[in-house]
Amino acid sequence: MLEVRGISKRFGKLQALDGVTFAVKPGEVFGFVGSNGAGKTTTMRIVLGVLSADAGEVRWQDAPIDSEVRRRIGYMPEERGLYPKMKVGEQLRYLARLHGMSAAEAGTSVQRWTERLGVGARIGDEVLKLSLGNQQRVQLCAALVHDPEVLVLDEPFSGLDPTAVEVMSGVLRDKADAGVPVIFSSHQLELVERICDRIGIIAGGRMVAVGSVDELRSREAAAVLDVEGPPAGWAADLSGVEVLASGDTHTRLRLAPDTDDQAVLVAAMAAGPVHDFRRWRPPLTELYRDVVQDAAVPVDHSGVPV
Amino acid sequence: MSEALSSNQAILLVARREFVTQVRSRSFVIGLVVTLALFGVGGGIGYFVAAQNSTSSLGLTADTASFRPALEATAATLDTELLITEVDDQSGRAQVDDDELDALLTGGPGAYELLGRDAVDPTVQSVVSTAVQQQALATALAGAGVDPAQLAAQSQVAVTTIEPSDPDSGQQLALALVATILLFFSLNYASLVATGVVEEKQSRVVELLLATITPRQLLAGKVLGLSVVGLLNLVVLGGISVVVASATGVLTLPAAAFGTFAMAILWYLLGFFLFAALYAAVGSTVSRQEELQSVITPIVFILIIPLILTLNLLPSDPRNELAAVLSFIPFFSQTVMPARYALGVAPLWEVAVAALIAVIAIVVVVRLAARIYQNSILRTGARVTLREALRTRS
Repeated sequence: MLEVRGISKRFGKLQALDGVTFAVKPGEVFGFVGSNGAGKTTTMRIVLGVLSADAGEVRWQDAPIDSEVRRRIGYMPEERGLYPKMKVGEQLRYLARLHGMSAAEAGTSVQRWTERLGVGARIGDEVLKLSLGNQQRVQLCAALVHDPEVLVLDEPFSGLDPTAVEVMSGVLRDKADAGVPVIFSSHQLELVERICDRIGIIAGGRMVAVGSVDELRSREAAAVLDVEGPPAGWAADLSGVEVLASGDTHTRLRLAPDTDDQAVLVAAMAAGPVHDFRRWRPPLTELYRDVVQDAAVPVDHSGVPV
Repeated sequence: MSEALSSNQAILLVARREFVTQVRSRSFVIGLVVTLALFGVGGGIGYFVAAQNSTSSLGLTADTASFRPALEATAATLDTELLITEVDDQSGRAQVDDDELDALLTGGPGAYELLGRDAVDPTVQSVVSTAVQQQALATALAGAGVDPAQLAAQSQVAVTTIEPSDPDSGQQLALALVATILLFFSLNYASLVATGVVEEKQSRVVELLLATITPRQLLAGKVLGLSVVGLLNLVVLGGISVVVASATGVLTLPAAAFGTFAMAILWYLLGFFLFAALYAAVGSTVSRQEELQSVITPIVFILIIPLILTLNLLPSDPRNELAAVLSFIPFFSQTVMPARYALGVAPLWEVAVAALIAVIAIVVVVRLAARIYQNSILRTGARVTLREALRTRS
């Protein structure tokens, strides 16, 4: 398990990170979301040892991460970087060898990953001759080429076309299924919701929510119901119920915490035939908005998965 | 699965990449060829000029033929070869015009004329005027009853030196100059460290590298790899110079050449690490190649100043005191000391002391530079001031 424990970092007067804590299990895809400047990149840089934390520690398999462990992490920095005038194949072999692979292993691995990510034909070209999308694929190859034990990817999906997004998410899923903890940051919340097992939301340098999308939903104190069937106005006088929206046959209600939804169902059936009665599942975009707005009131800080 | 990578392996991997990238680059090959061409052209011109100077032809008319013994004696004292032919005035003038004669001495007492086509070689001028003056003086002295031979004996000044005069000093000077210039060209490869540091910073690849290896390993590998590039340049050019010079008979001191060559390699290494550390430190404080030129200019000056001093002071005065002092001071010693050694004025113990001082300087400068580099390498945007770079810890 990869654990980030109480990491703090200050740049001058700016408290960039304040006790950031979360953990990622092997086989898990962890989505790291937050607005620009919230602290995602700083956290990832600290995990990789590119920056050092003022307080807190990063642990892998119950031991603090050292340079030997870091060499077995696959990293894609936010600021993409490759030697512009070096050939794709040479560059990836060089990086694989810096991560400790033998020359033979490096050669095989470069072949495998460039083909998997669709840049196998460009292996003899200098990086600067590739399109930005292909450079991005090479960058991902650079994170994967040494067969890492942990993957940390900063905005891996930005700038990719839909095909590449599919390939990339397939690769992340495969790596997770092979037992690798995968952390990536993204602003594309639909994508995060679709491919992540768990999500961490960071705002102002603090983790404001950590959990699966369902767990985040269940933290919404009040349930919201969508009822289809009875004519408008049937719920107006029910106690503990607030009507959020109503159409001809559709009504959206928010229940106060101790309201019995079965009593609401009975009232609805009394008003007319009920065709649909279900809890509204807010998408991650809405959860994210709520959580970030409420960030002034910090919630669950123990990000350890249950 | 990846295995543990030792620090040395990481440094060697980085060094190998630097070396291969540079040696394969067009600029390295072009640099070698251009330097060789410069040496070839320089040597050729020197050889041509020397060949031109060695023999001059002078025509004498019937009126001036009596100067022949005096001219031959003077030419012998001045160590020039003078080919004297006797011609009549008219055909002599024609031969000068056709370049068959370098000069023609004609005319009579009080109106001697030395005729050349465009100019008369200064050596020939001084030979002729000395001979004519001596002849006139001898005539006058004889008229006054003084024996010219006696006067000459009385006015003789003998030149002797405390140190035995060295017949090889010309070759030593040539060796020293060639070594100084080769060293300068090779030490210039240290500036590639700054270019490389900025390239990694500008392309942001440095973050990927530093997620794998430490800044010290990256820096050490870079300096090591590029030092071999410069060394290769020095060995190839030095080797070719020595072989060509020996083969053409210009160089007759193989032992001295070998010693100078070994000394050049020693001082190349000492100078390279010192300058590479400086270049790395200043390179890491800027984010783009465009900003680099202004910050490395002072370092280029530090390298050029001892070159200029060496080329100006030592040929005429190998024991120059300023040069002697500078040859012990780091940042100057790598240029001045090998030149003094090649000139035969610096004994080995002086070289050893200067080398020791240089090593101490390297240790200090490398530590400071590594600190600046570590603190600046991930900071992009505005230039990092040296004070910040020395203080902060990221």
